[in-house]
Amino acid sequence: MKTGFRIFLGAFVALGLSWCGFVLGPALQLGTQGQTTVLNSSDIYPNQRPGDATLGLQVYRASGCAACHTTQVGQDGVVCDVVLTSKGSNPSAVESLISTLKLTGITTKEDADAVSAKISAAGGKSETHIVPTGPDISRGWGLRHSVAEDFLWDNPVQLGSIRVGPDLANVGLRRDEHWLYVHLYDPRANVTNSIMPSYKYLFTVAQATNQFPSSFDMEPTEDGRNLVAYLLSLRADVALHDAPFSTAPAAAAKK
Amino acid sequence: MSEPVKESLETSDGQKGSTAPAWIFALTLLFLFAGGVYFDHRSGWFDPQVYAPYHSSDELEAYQPKSGAAAMFAEGKKQYGMICAACHGDDGLGKPGQAPPLAGSEWVTTSSFKRVEEIPQLGLTGEVHVGGQAWSLQMAPMGAALSDSDLAAVLTYIRGSWGNKASAVSDTDVKAMRSLVAGHAPISGESGLNAIKE
Repeated sequence: MKTGFRIFLGAFVALGLSWCGFVLGPALQLGTQGQTTVLNSSDIYPNQRPGDATLGLQVYRASGCAACHTTQVGQDGVVCDVVLTSKGSNPSAVESLISTLKLTGITTKEDADAVSAKISAAGGKSETHIVPTGPDISRGWGLRHSVAEDFLWDNPVQLGSIRVGPDLANVGLRRDEHWLYVHLYDPRANVTNSIMPSYKYLFTVAQATNQFPSSFDMEPTEDGRNLVAYLLSLRADVALHDAPFSTAPAAAAKK
Repeated sequence: MSEPVKESLETSDGQKGSTAPAWIFALTLLFLFAGGVYFDHRSGWFDPQVYAPYHSSDELEAYQPKSGAAAMFAEGKKQYGMICAACHGDDGLGKPGQAPPLAGSEWVTTSSFKRVEEIPQLGLTGEVHVGGQAWSLQMAPMGAALSDSDLAAVLTYIRGSWGNKASAVSDTDVKAMRSLVAGHAPISGESGLNAIKE
């Protein structure tokens, strides 16, 4: 009995420690997180996914998409771009200053701040842009690293761990509805070397009065529509306090 | 069979009751110290806001975009919170009996900002209609004491927040407006607002 109690105690401590590490720790760290505001804006982030996209999350889960696709973007570093916006009242002074500045190798915020301080001392105006870097970002898979808020409304969160296919964290930003339908029906139609299996069971033969042209007489089932709605809702394109980057302001982007 | 094995195990140790050499303790302490320093520099102290590649909340703060339009918007949000939010609300929805809403207000989201920029400079008395509802209140010239750039920032903020998507106001716009209306009495109601040329 003495040995039995020791075994129990050992197992309890071992499992308890891993529970603390895998469940309690993350819950204390991120468990109370809620909606936040978009950086330099009053917009709330994230908003709940639309109803069909919320249902599509379960189709994504049932179809095993997370086995081959991740939905998390990594970021290796961050660089600063100093952009001269105005030469001010004494353009020649700013021009001569810039010709003397050593502008290569500016990476840290301190370097960028030093350069913009020199420019403003010479009478010019500059802006410092924050630019995330990393292999995922240079592939166009995202604008910044993924943060916990991106997954606030998802249950279960399907981060994925293997990238047999590309990351889907921002697939809604780079693909449109039609492309996704065609890709799910016949992956090789859009991407010649795709090794994704076809998801033809998400489509049925369209009725005679269908909205599709006769050359493509299949139409998605409700699951298919929901899945595409979910994929289109995957778009983490706003800057947050915990994932800052410089965006063009809405008013300026319109012009 | 088991006897000789046991003996050989005991004797293989060389000496009984030996302690670990001192250098192991020194090395362990050194590793613990190095680990502690690494943790301090790299962990962000488990701050939920700090992700790689940032190492601390201070570093994250340094990389918040703070120049150009972003800085103006941030400054406008700050000034709004200090001055305007008491009556118009943090959500810009206004408060019954205190102030009309700014979110979606037809006076705020105009393409030209000649009217809206004079309201905080001069104040507003009398009846105005906002969102189909009549508001008969008094607003003091709350923005008259602000600098040109701060008032421009507040105006930019209210014109670009809570779903409003109107253009930004620059400090030169505010400066021009101030030289134009200097010494003017508070705007009287909707007719006074409509008298201002857009």
